[in-house]
Amino acid sequence: MTGILSRFAASGVLMVWGLVLTYFYLSDRIISYLHPAFHIYTAISGGVLLLLSLLLLLTVPSDSSRHALPGMGIFPLLLLTVPLLAATKLSPSQFGATAVMNRGMINNISDLPGFSPPQEPGLPNADGSIAEGTMMDPSLYLKKNADGYISAEAVDLLYAAGEPVMREDFENKQVEVNGQFLPALTGNPNGDRFNLTRLFVMCCAADARPVAISVESNPAIDLPKMTWVKVRGKATFPVEGGRHIPVLVAESVAETEAPQESFIY
Amino acid sequence: MNDSWFSFSLPDFSYAFVSVLLEGVPFVLLGTILSGLIDQFLPARFMTRLLPRNAFAAVCLGGVLGIIFPMCECGIVPVIRRLIAKGLPVSSAVAYMLAAPIVNPITALSTYAAFRGQGAAEFTALRLGLGFFVAVLAGLAVLNLPIGAVLKKTILESVTLSGAVGDGGLSAHPLLRRLIGAMEAGVRDFLDVMVYFILGVGVASLFSTAVNQEIFLPLSLDDRLAIPAMMTLAGVLSLCSSSDAFIAATFVAFPAVAKLAFLVFGPMMDLKLVFIYSAVFTPRFVATLAIGLFVIIGLLCLRLAVVLP
Repeated sequence: MTGILSRFAASGVLMVWGLVLTYFYLSDRIISYLHPAFHIYTAISGGVLLLLSLLLLLTVPSDSSRHALPGMGIFPLLLLTVPLLAATKLSPSQFGATAVMNRGMINNISDLPGFSPPQEPGLPNADGSIAEGTMMDPSLYLKKNADGYISAEAVDLLYAAGEPVMREDFENKQVEVNGQFLPALTGNPNGDRFNLTRLFVMCCAADARPVAISVESNPAIDLPKMTWVKVRGKATFPVEGGRHIPVLVAESVAETEAPQESFIY
Repeated sequence: MNDSWFSFSLPDFSYAFVSVLLEGVPFVLLGTILSGLIDQFLPARFMTRLLPRNAFAAVCLGGVLGIIFPMCECGIVPVIRRLIAKGLPVSSAVAYMLAAPIVNPITALSTYAAFRGQGAAEFTALRLGLGFFVAVLAGLAVLNLPIGAVLKKTILESVTLSGAVGDGGLSAHPLLRRLIGAMEAGVRDFLDVMVYFILGVGVASLFSTAVNQEIFLPLSLDDRLAIPAMMTLAGVLSLCSSSDAFIAATFVAFPAVAKLAFLVFGPMMDLKLVFIYSAVFTPRFVATLAIGLFVIIGLLCLRLAVVLP
């Protein structure tokens, strides 16, 4: 493929890429793929690629062989378009159980990417009162839903397990946590636990690390792997394996819709 | 945890594949836009005049160029391709290519943030220092190789052509024509590099979703096993150098030297980069570079294990 045909083919490839990137951004599908900080780069790239595609067509030189774009044989042309379009079509916009289980679960807060130990709270005043600005009122960050349950994320309970002051905020309180169901293959002596999982992302889904807390349910729950569930129950932090671990004793487990933003950051 | 060490799922593969493409394409595009501008606006042999005459100093300068011109590993190949054509010695280009994803302010900050509470300053300094040292070593090794053994034939021809015709009177061309020329050169590089990028992302996505990563855990107990295991994992995961430190920090079972090996080897060589480098270098050189980096970084980290806990 040479000359003018090669130029049209190159323009077509850029058009496909530009459209796909723009589609992901405008349809909000990108939320399931990238950290929010990267969304704008995808949008700009989509626009630039569309512009380049157009400019290639508008600037065809009279002597077309002079600006032939090499490397546009049939194989590169197919390679540049078919895998992208096929993967866009096939991708379910979330990982299945295979990839998640291959990555191993983070169930200790110190293993979380970017974790830094919390600072010790300031000493109390001479009269025993807490100095202003040294401790945050838990009601400011523990939001309750209409039924009185604290709306929490799995990662909040992991933090609480590793930090005594925060643990007090949650221990034996009623909480509601959303996540994806996975059977608990370890740390499940009575067979009544499952893992409530969320994906923690630094840049894109490819670097996602699964974060999980245990849910104890009587009777035991069995759902298809990676089903989104809403769990309501009591937060407990028993000592197992020499450290506190978060175990949510379920009052109810209900299937729910996947949230638009399925990652935690 | 899956029982098998390898379990493939097409939806998982597709998902990882698309996410890396969405993340990486902006950086490849940025690199190719820069390469187009270099092609049209940087005078031929400009780099030759800019660099010190001493080969060792020129390679060292290549190793620190990333501080001034930070580029990630996805976008750097089209840039060095054009810089080579404009007279940048291949040895300096290799040093720049290997060092820039590590020796730059963004990677330094992310490494520092990821290792807070784990000797962040020392670890960041070690990562940047070792990255620079290994990149310069590789650059010096390239000094002794015939250029034909390093560069692909098409790249070699562009270097020869550039040397023969100078800038072809480009500077005399009207600005609009030069901008159109930059666009065409950039598009040409984008399409060339994307072919290799797609192949690399495909292989990396296959392994990063299908390989059971916990098979590496038993190797964490011995430095001699932990270091190559973490470098292999870095090669398989093909992470971006601006965020890989956050992932490395989560491998708490592994010794610090193994994480250091992960963070130095990964941005220099992974499954995705093997393909991207093939857009410029001969397959034999890419294979030699991969093995050489694995051995050198492994040995250096093993040596550092004496001082690093």
